[in-house]
Amino acid sequence: MPTLIRAHAGGMVLANDAFTHVDDDTPIPPGDVILSLTRFQAEGERLLGEGRAVGVRLTTADEVEALAYDLPRIALVALEFPKFRDGRHYSNARVLRERLGFTREVRAVGDVLREQAGFMLRCGFDAFEPADGSTPEAWDRATRRFRHVYQRSADGRTPAFVERGS
Amino acid sequence: MYRYDVIDKEFVADRTAEFREQVTRRLAGEITEDQFKPIRLLNGLYLQLHAYMLRVAIPYGSLNSAKLRKLAYIARVYDKGYGHFTTRTNLQLHWIKLKDAPEILEHLAEVEMHAIQTSGNTIRNVTADPYAGATADELDDPRVWAEAIRQWSTLHPEFAFLPRKFKIAVTAAAKDRAATRVYDIGLALRRGRGGELGFEVMVGGGLGRTPYLGPTIREFLPTRHLLSYLQAIIRVYNRHGRRDNIWKARIKVLVASLGAEEFGRQVEAEWEKSDKAEVDLPDTELARIRGWFRPGFAKLAPRSEAFEAAKAADPAFARWTRHNVHPHKQPGYAIVDVSLKVPGQTPGDMSWEQMEVAADLAERFSLDDIRVTYQQNLLLPHVRLDDLPAVHKALAEAGLATPNMELISDIIACPGLDYCALANARAIPIAQQIATRFADDERAEAVGELKIKISGCINACGHHHVGHIGILGVDKKGEEFYQLTLGGSGEEDAALGQMLGPALPADKVAEAVEQMVEVYMRERRDGERFLDTFRRTGVAPFKEAVYADAH
Amino acid sequence: MKALTGNRLDDGEAVFWKDGRWVARFVDATIFDDEDRATEAEAKAKSQLTVVVDPYLIDLIESEGLWAPLSYRERVRALGPTNHPQHGKQALGGEDIAALQHAHGAARSTGRVALIKRK
Repeated sequence: MPTLIRAHAGGMVLANDAFTHVDDDTPIPPGDVILSLTRFQAEGERLLGEGRAVGVRLTTADEVEALAYDLPRIALVALEFPKFRDGRHYSNARVLRERLGFTREVRAVGDVLREQAGFMLRCGFDAFEPADGSTPEAWDRATRRFRHVYQRSADGRTPAFVERGS
Repeated sequence: MYRYDVIDKEFVADRTAEFREQVTRRLAGEITEDQFKPIRLLNGLYLQLHAYMLRVAIPYGSLNSAKLRKLAYIARVYDKGYGHFTTRTNLQLHWIKLKDAPEILEHLAEVEMHAIQTSGNTIRNVTADPYAGATADELDDPRVWAEAIRQWSTLHPEFAFLPRKFKIAVTAAAKDRAATRVYDIGLALRRGRGGELGFEVMVGGGLGRTPYLGPTIREFLPTRHLLSYLQAIIRVYNRHGRRDNIWKARIKVLVASLGAEEFGRQVEAEWEKSDKAEVDLPDTELARIRGWFRPGFAKLAPRSEAFEAAKAADPAFARWTRHNVHPHKQPGYAIVDVSLKVPGQTPGDMSWEQMEVAADLAERFSLDDIRVTYQQNLLLPHVRLDDLPAVHKALAEAGLATPNMELISDIIACPGLDYCALANARAIPIAQQIATRFADDERAEAVGELKIKISGCINACGHHHVGHIGILGVDKKGEEFYQLTLGGSGEEDAALGQMLGPALPADKVAEAVEQMVEVYMRERRDGERFLDTFRRTGVAPFKEAVYADAH
Repeated sequence: MKALTGNRLDDGEAVFWKDGRWVARFVDATIFDDEDRATEAEAKAKSQLTVVVDPYLIDLIESEGLWAPLSYRERVRALGPTNHPQHGKQALGGEDIAALQHAHGAARSTGRVALIKRK
């Protein structure tokens, strides 16, 4: 089971993951699950009806807007990085947070590395499955690198131009 | 010029500390080269043929004496005593050691410089008109907007991993000295009907394998919405630009495949949905930035007797003023080019000693301001006419006063296969051969404006597509060959060059240029530049001359 | 014939494989006449993550009785930039450097204009 790190109370903590990632070819196990968009569209209704918590995993080719209608019923959105260099999910996470108003967990999965932790946190991710074996301490440190930021983003940090005015 | 406050300083300090730690982890083997490469690229560090190359950001080409002296120091201590100014107004140091890179970045931070985002698939160093603040034909100082873009784009969390690199250029003048039509985003300041200022927004220009001139997607964007509009453009690109093929990943391909109209519609839709007030800078911040761009000019007479007398007495000085000195908006001042194009030398190269000289001149004679141009020269933007003879003398002694700006020996050339890991052929020796043939000042002046641009590979760092004569190095079965194009321009009359004919071997290129110059001299009518003659006659007479002996 | 090359991690210097070590001069490099041994060395080199970056095999030709890299690019790496003869390995001089400078493999590009057909 991969490590799950969560942003919590201004820091990063190791979290228990109640969810099972399910691919498209495996029978659905009991308990809380994370499904692909296709599978969620086919089976989500039924699973939610069973009282389970359901998360949806989006590839970089999926449009987050496709989830707009279902977001109130979804426990978490997992955005999957096929390669750390594929940056589409930074925009997707911001759209989820800032435009679609999603307030539950947005989780980074796939090729998720410590060097990108700061960017992810700023774009609204609050849970991470690091692929590089990072500890919560290392993750926390990586997200605290910069005392200042130059632009507003989904994390609500005060940008330099506001700091200067106050 | 813009000066860092405590926030900017702490930001760069944090970045430098981060990179120092990342280099330590790489040298210790804790991260792989595959993971490290994008990190070092985001700090401008490439691995090239002979060593690492550090590309230092020079935002909108703006330097002062302290910065240039620091670059001289770094070139002397950590490199082989010289640096190479590029078509993106950055400085490349070609002999850098990875283990020294964090220390070099610390030196840069001391003078409010860095190498952030000078490489990688991110928003690169922003460029602007090098005449900013000095030319009478600008509507506003473009550096205000370029600095706003610099800060906004610095470690923008959403745009650190775009499909491909992303370059923005800003101009506020009618004459385009920033090549805005060949940028991912070109911004040209315009005045609206009510007198207010706004940007014409051009998107999807670019050179490289598939060159495009950027179409205008918005005729007039109110200046206060600049950043939110940029966010909309780049978000559409980040989400929908191609990532499956590196040669089709630039925004120009997305714009071309959707069509400018449809792309513009998507940008407008994204922009309408965004919370503009969250992104756009408040007036107070714009005013703070603007406050740094108010040089203290003296009230001078428009005519300088000392200058006129020197011109009359010294033909070499007079020639230099004809080509390397330009009118200034302020009476009694001039804009002075610092030529890095001595025939036979490497275009854009500057020794640490020359950097020291230029820094001294900037401090003494140009309100401590010196600029880098995309033509790989420097310029002193604010020199008093009275001081021109002294400035000329000092530049000439340092080998920086070649009177050849915009002439045939003012050649743009990328580092090419002498340094670059991407190159297919050398560019520098070709430039040297051509410039040497036209080293005679009188001959070069007789030929007049002629812009030669040379790239060592299809990535087009040497802007060959927009050269009056463009030269592209190609590899034909291991041999260096060169494709020539004619009639390109990167300015307000922007055009892409037209192919002359089959590629030429290395030792035939300079000769071919000379043959084409002869055709031009024969065909030209009153006042025509090479480009004008070509546009009138077409490619035929030039082709005839170059390939005549190739039956 | 092949040689194995890469750039040293800590300073970026172009280096060549010599019996399990890396040397700066091309003349000192191990020359492989056996494809399997070359590939084996390349695999070993690729595992040296903290020593060398992206090692690869290059093809060789003979020049003045010595071996030289076939491609122009590799000869520039083994010599230094042609616009600054005092920089890079070429500054060391010697017969081996001269042989590399005189080598013209596939990259010779003079006197060939007659081969170009006019359209």
